[in-house]
Amino acid sequence: MSRLLRIDMSSLSHKWMDVPSKYSDFAGRAFTSSVLSDEVDPTCDPLREGNKIVISPGLLAGTSAPSSGRLSIGAKSPLTGGIKESNAGGLTGTRLGQLGIRGIIIEGMPPAGTTDWYSIYISKDKCEIFKSNEWAGIGLYELIKKIWDKYPGRPGVIGCGIAGQRLHIGAGIFGNNMENSDPGRFAGRGGLGAVMGSKRIIAIISDGRGGEGPKPKDKERFDRGRKALTEALQNHPVTGRLTDDEGKPFGGLANYGTNILQNIISEAGGLPTHGFRDGRFKGAAKISGEAVHELVDKTREKFGDAAEGKYGHPCHPGCVMACSNVVPYEDTGKLQVGPLEYESAWALGANLDIDSLHDVAELNRLCNDLGLDTIETGNTLAMMMEGGLLEFGDGPGAIAALKEAYDPKSPIGRLICSGTLIAGRTLGVTRIPVVKGQALPAYDPRPIRGIGVTYATTPMGADHTAGYTIAAEILGVKGKISDPRDLKKADLSRAFQATTAYIDSVGYCLFIAFAILDNDDGFQGMVDTVNGFLGKEIDVTEYGLAVIKKEREFNRRAGFTEKDDRLPEFFRTEPLPPHNVTFDVTDEELDAVFKDL
Amino acid sequence: MLELHLYGVLRQLVNGSVPTEDTILNLPYVQGESFHGLVQRLGLSMSDLGDCFVNGTLVHENTVLSDGDRIGLFPFNMVLLCGGQHLKGHGYTQSDVDVDYY
Repeated sequence: MSRLLRIDMSSLSHKWMDVPSKYSDFAGRAFTSSVLSDEVDPTCDPLREGNKIVISPGLLAGTSAPSSGRLSIGAKSPLTGGIKESNAGGLTGTRLGQLGIRGIIIEGMPPAGTTDWYSIYISKDKCEIFKSNEWAGIGLYELIKKIWDKYPGRPGVIGCGIAGQRLHIGAGIFGNNMENSDPGRFAGRGGLGAVMGSKRIIAIISDGRGGEGPKPKDKERFDRGRKALTEALQNHPVTGRLTDDEGKPFGGLANYGTNILQNIISEAGGLPTHGFRDGRFKGAAKISGEAVHELVDKTREKFGDAAEGKYGHPCHPGCVMACSNVVPYEDTGKLQVGPLEYESAWALGANLDIDSLHDVAELNRLCNDLGLDTIETGNTLAMMMEGGLLEFGDGPGAIAALKEAYDPKSPIGRLICSGTLIAGRTLGVTRIPVVKGQALPAYDPRPIRGIGVTYATTPMGADHTAGYTIAAEILGVKGKISDPRDLKKADLSRAFQATTAYIDSVGYCLFIAFAILDNDDGFQGMVDTVNGFLGKEIDVTEYGLAVIKKEREFNRRAGFTEKDDRLPEFFRTEPLPPHNVTFDVTDEELDAVFKDL
Repeated sequence: MLELHLYGVLRQLVNGSVPTEDTILNLPYVQGESFHGLVQRLGLSMSDLGDCFVNGTLVHENTVLSDGDRIGLFPFNMVLLCGGQHLKGHGYTQSDVDVDYY
């Protein structure tokens, strides 16, 4: 039986509740967006009492469905001013699933002037809100170690770091990885770390021991689906196992991680380089997933069992794709950062013209320790380079600048934590890559127009995970009659956004897309797990569109109009080499995406 | 000449290559050669390949190459991440696609 936990930070109290029938089919993003839509005034100040943080594991979290342990965190975003769902792996989704918790709603805040900090411990039998002043202001590597030392049982941990505690809107919500060696499982986007800081919460600890976990209503159908999806994932050359039967490299993600894309997108001419001035990065190979793979092998050879680098590393229990990694220091073999994702390697690498893997990984480590979103921070550093405070390509300079964020009195440090738009405006930059105040991720929308439509129209602000149309749209750089540019961008983006909202809600990792789009049996397997779990038929697209409808309505009531569904001007006026194209999707086509919703 | 940029396990086509540097193989241009022909010349088959590019545009096996082309060769397990490979109609996951958007 699933249940809800409602926590009131004004009175430091909590209560357990049954899941209301109107939310019976909702989890993950569907749950967070529904609660926000129903309970939060869209015009509220996101860092004051009226905002709420909603935490929800996906519908299938805690079950044996493959790669289904993702966690959604929602709030009104202080970065975009609109509704936000940010999604991550880590332990917490599985732990909450094991405890039968569908969602946690955190509301209110301690009285103004309070200087105390709090953390929350949740287990099978209790919810405890306790003072944790000794955890304030410390780096997250140190924090997660302290928590695991205090709480045996390998709990999931999420929370905010130094940046969130200071209410900086570049802050994300961290999560620990399965070994608790790195706080790098981030629900990074939207500044949600600052919302948690505004509630005076540092950490939420979930101990799954003794929990019964969710049970599917139609076990036979669920199991049939689980097996079909697992098989489709494991046999696909992208999502499949590390090596084939002959011991040769097989699964692309297991071998190279998400950073497999660094070389691919660069070769395709869509890798934003030097602050969105080029589509191809000369240093891509040096910071690629292949380079990480080689570094891991090299340090294993040199340091043996003492080496801590990894590839083929799962981001949450039960993930069969294992696209995460751990980057080791070359000179010691010890962990530097885990994972180094494509988006982070791009934001802190190609985007800044930095081609030193060490420097890129160190910047990522600092972001993880401070509790910062790597995409937002990388773009903010680019604004400092555009604005003349740093040189493009200066890795050590960027590291030194980011380290200033530890000092609460450093203006540079505070600027870095304040997001791309604020930094750009402050420094007089006119090429600021944001939509709805949120920085663009690692696909340039000029040669990859479909993702540009998603950036512009998703209620989330520029977000590649909201409707990932890359494969269908990368072809759009061609110019012939049979070109998919003739496909209706609006239809394409809308379909992908709806499917994505469904996947974000049921708890699957977005990368199951390979198995479900390339393999009909895999798609049926996904549907069978969800419908078998609920014991009813759910239409994928209708379910997803219903979620997006609520999100757009929230944003409309917050004051957003169609003018907010636009890309910055320079994407329309500055052609991007090597294809020398601009973003030429019309405003009418952008408005058509959700016109009838 | 054709300038081939090799990735993943295909880097092995060049002795001494390392993943931290660009692995480039220069081959003579052959008039009228298709991408499929080039793949055969390399001793590979189409099933060894994932998404490949000519001058930054996804290539089809029938694409005719031009002198001076930059060709990005990725192995079978390196493709754009999002699924929907059948949309490309180059036979990566399905050879009998209903609609070849390419």
